[in-house]
Amino acid sequence: MEMKRIFSTRRLVFLSILVALGAVLHVVEGMFPIPLPLPGVKLGLANIVTLFAICLYGLRGGVAVATARVLLGSLIGGIFLSPGFLLALSGAILSTLVMAWLFKHTSCFSVIGISMAGAVTHNMGQLLAASLILRSSAVFYYLPVLLLAAIPTGLITGYILRSLLDRLEKTGQLRIMKME
Amino acid sequence: MTRGDKFLAAAILLTAILAIAFPRLHSSLFPVATSSARAVIKAQGKIVREVVLSDSGGRSTLVVNGRAGPSTIEVEGKRIRMKEANCPDKICVRQGWIEKPGDSIACIPGEIIVRIEGAAPLDAVTR
Repeated sequence: MEMKRIFSTRRLVFLSILVALGAVLHVVEGMFPIPLPLPGVKLGLANIVTLFAICLYGLRGGVAVATARVLLGSLIGGIFLSPGFLLALSGAILSTLVMAWLFKHTSCFSVIGISMAGAVTHNMGQLLAASLILRSSAVFYYLPVLLLAAIPTGLITGYILRSLLDRLEKTGQLRIMKME
Repeated sequence: MTRGDKFLAAAILLTAILAIAFPRLHSSLFPVATSSARAVIKAQGKIVREVVLSDSGGRSTLVVNGRAGPSTIEVEGKRIRMKEANCPDKICVRQGWIEKPGDSIACIPGEIIVRIEGAAPLDAVTR
């Protein structure tokens, strides 16, 4: 009896590479806070990898990469099951769901717009988790700042993904990665 | 960038500006006497201290025990800040001083929140 597979072996290999990339970006980025007096603002480089997985394999690919990346990244960073881990997990899952939905069901946004939407929902997911942990709505005081920060960070990560997709398209590697 | 992208960026920007501007506008139209504002300090879900913030108050520090260990909070006149904390990221410390009602400092690893509440209810209103 053959088990029903969610991903083919080929896709599984590419997903694993993306998880490794995402985990490294997640950890390295956590080591270098942006030198701004803003609480918790990050570029969100790991988000590039999640959105790339969505572009390749849809919602399932994105969720698989995002959750595996957060688990692995926080194990490496030593924050597994800490509040920081819960924040990262809820932000990653919420943004992945929203980005995958936008990618599949809308046509008016490019990856840059979807990346911005991902940055915004990532921050909202984090604040939601923070408010649950702290049992207080005071953290939503940060929302405007995080919304403002999401525009440049979403733009930058979106442009990086755009140029990555263009290059892979030109060399034909994107088609190879998308094959079953 | 497509038109949709630009629209989205504009919508986010507008929401953020409104969210920043509205409380300021509100507090300038209906000013509260900040001389009687107070800071409410919560640790692990419970209110542990309330500090009255006034110009006449001098500099003082207090220690609050959070989940990540003791944190030092400093009050200076109407301002309050997280001076030292045992949490790993120190986001709360880097935020610096806060002084307006509604402002808050949240330390997530330590589960500590410092929030400035508005003035006490008015004593009387004459029309």
